[in-house]
Amino acid sequence: MPHLVLDRISIHYDGQAAPAVERVSIDVAKGDFVVLVGRSGCGKTSLLNVAAGLVTPARGSAAINGRPITAPGSDRAVVFQNDALFPWLTARENVAFALRLRGVRPAERARRADELLALVKLTDAGDKRIWELSGGMRQRVGLARALAAEPEFLLLDEPLGALDALTRERMQTTLLDLWTASHVGVLMVTHGIEEALVLATRIVVLAPAPGRVVRTIEPGFSRRYASGEAIRAIKADPAFAAARGDLTDAIFEGEAA
Amino acid sequence: MTVTSYTERPTQKVDEADGLSVPWSRPRPNRSRVSARAVSAVTILVVLAVWALSARLQLVSPVFLPSPVAVWNKFIVVARDGFVDATLPQHVVASLGRVFAALVAAILVGVPVGLAIGISTVGRGIFDPLLEFLRPIPPLAYLPLVIIWFGIGEPSKILVIAIAMLAPVALSTASGVRGVSQERIDAARSLGATKRQVVRHVILPSALPAILTGLRIALGAGWSTLVAAELVAATRGLGFMIQSAAQFLVTDVVVMGILVIAAIAFVLEFTIRRIECVLVPWAGRE
Repeated sequence: MPHLVLDRISIHYDGQAAPAVERVSIDVAKGDFVVLVGRSGCGKTSLLNVAAGLVTPARGSAAINGRPITAPGSDRAVVFQNDALFPWLTARENVAFALRLRGVRPAERARRADELLALVKLTDAGDKRIWELSGGMRQRVGLARALAAEPEFLLLDEPLGALDALTRERMQTTLLDLWTASHVGVLMVTHGIEEALVLATRIVVLAPAPGRVVRTIEPGFSRRYASGEAIRAIKADPAFAAARGDLTDAIFEGEAA
Repeated sequence: MTVTSYTERPTQKVDEADGLSVPWSRPRPNRSRVSARAVSAVTILVVLAVWALSARLQLVSPVFLPSPVAVWNKFIVVARDGFVDATLPQHVVASLGRVFAALVAAILVGVPVGLAIGISTVGRGIFDPLLEFLRPIPPLAYLPLVIIWFGIGEPSKILVIAIAMLAPVALSTASGVRGVSQERIDAARSLGATKRQVVRHVILPSALPAILTGLRIALGAGWSTLVAAELVAATRGLGFMIQSAAQFLVTDVVVMGILVIAAIAFVLEFTIRRIECVLVPWAGRE
């Protein structure tokens, strides 16, 4: 069973006296959708970067399937807030990027890329240039590009953060559809409370100074969506509203009002 | 404390021109009714008129200041019959050939050097001081040394121009490389790119707009060292033509040569801007 494990991670940044993150452990199994939430400065993006292999922790260990994480790898594809797409390539070529790195032949690349574009509902956008796409479309290209690497885990750094509210809502179901279709494990960072509740199988609430885990919640709404319940019905459920209040309290706990 | 709006963070792009009543978003009254282009056209016409008038009134001897008509006539004659054993097109081709040969050399050396400066600390340590040393030296100063070392043949002329082009190409490439967004590199690495693949597939294309800007500056710099490069032992070329004409006091050819050099520089600049539009259509749209 594929496992992404962050074990008692502490992160120190140069020139800062206090640690950014102290002794945080997070465990993501295949099929999990783990969401990190918390106020600014709680180190959630730093933790994601440790999992990605972009930041080396001061103490603690990060491992994927038992192997220590020392560098970025295509078993953990990252999607950033600002899509980070390549503007000199078309949407299709962006999606096929990981395959091109591996030397897959052009015809096969295009076929795989078109499949993935269809999966993110961008069937006709393959030949479009990046600057012709809207923010939501770009982010979907970014997701398809990450999935093309056939990762075991997706690391999402506020992937919906730069989108408008309506597009965000629609992208939440797209994310859930991709998650159920691809069977990957997801580790995601977000500022959105409702977003966390809709998407997560497990929410890890972090508090700042230093970044630490204050609460772990298992909302279960995304499982309900996966088993066929409509997203609007889920959000209208009184249990959802209660969970939202609960999560909000957890996030702002200990903060001077 | 209300936290209901917590999830609705403002979107990043705020359209300033849309519906805001802040002072800086109000359309400014367009006070200038004339375009800069029109002013430029008038300026050029005035300069031509003053030139023609002072030549007509013989304020200065025609040996020093030939009339615009005389220069134009000379242009026709030299284009057809030639001056110092070559027609004007032959002079132009000789000069352009040297400048483009030098450009190719400057790209072959300057782009890798710029990459090295932008990517590695060691590369920056090695090449930065060398380029900073080379950059401010006027071509006429290193011309004698180049001739002593490499003789009076064609390679020396190309080298003089290439040296002038090297710094702009390398430094623009380096600044383009340093400007590549870290997110883009991180994304490529997390998709499985090796360091070499990151350079080839992410850093080089990201730096391409800056490299093209460097080429544009380099062409300008190289073209302006043309006369220096053709100072010694040339038999053709615009710079050589001007110098020969100056020695025989054929001022109309000197003036004509200057105008041709300026016109070609203008065409080169325009052409490379077109190339930029075709090659890097994403520049400025990200």
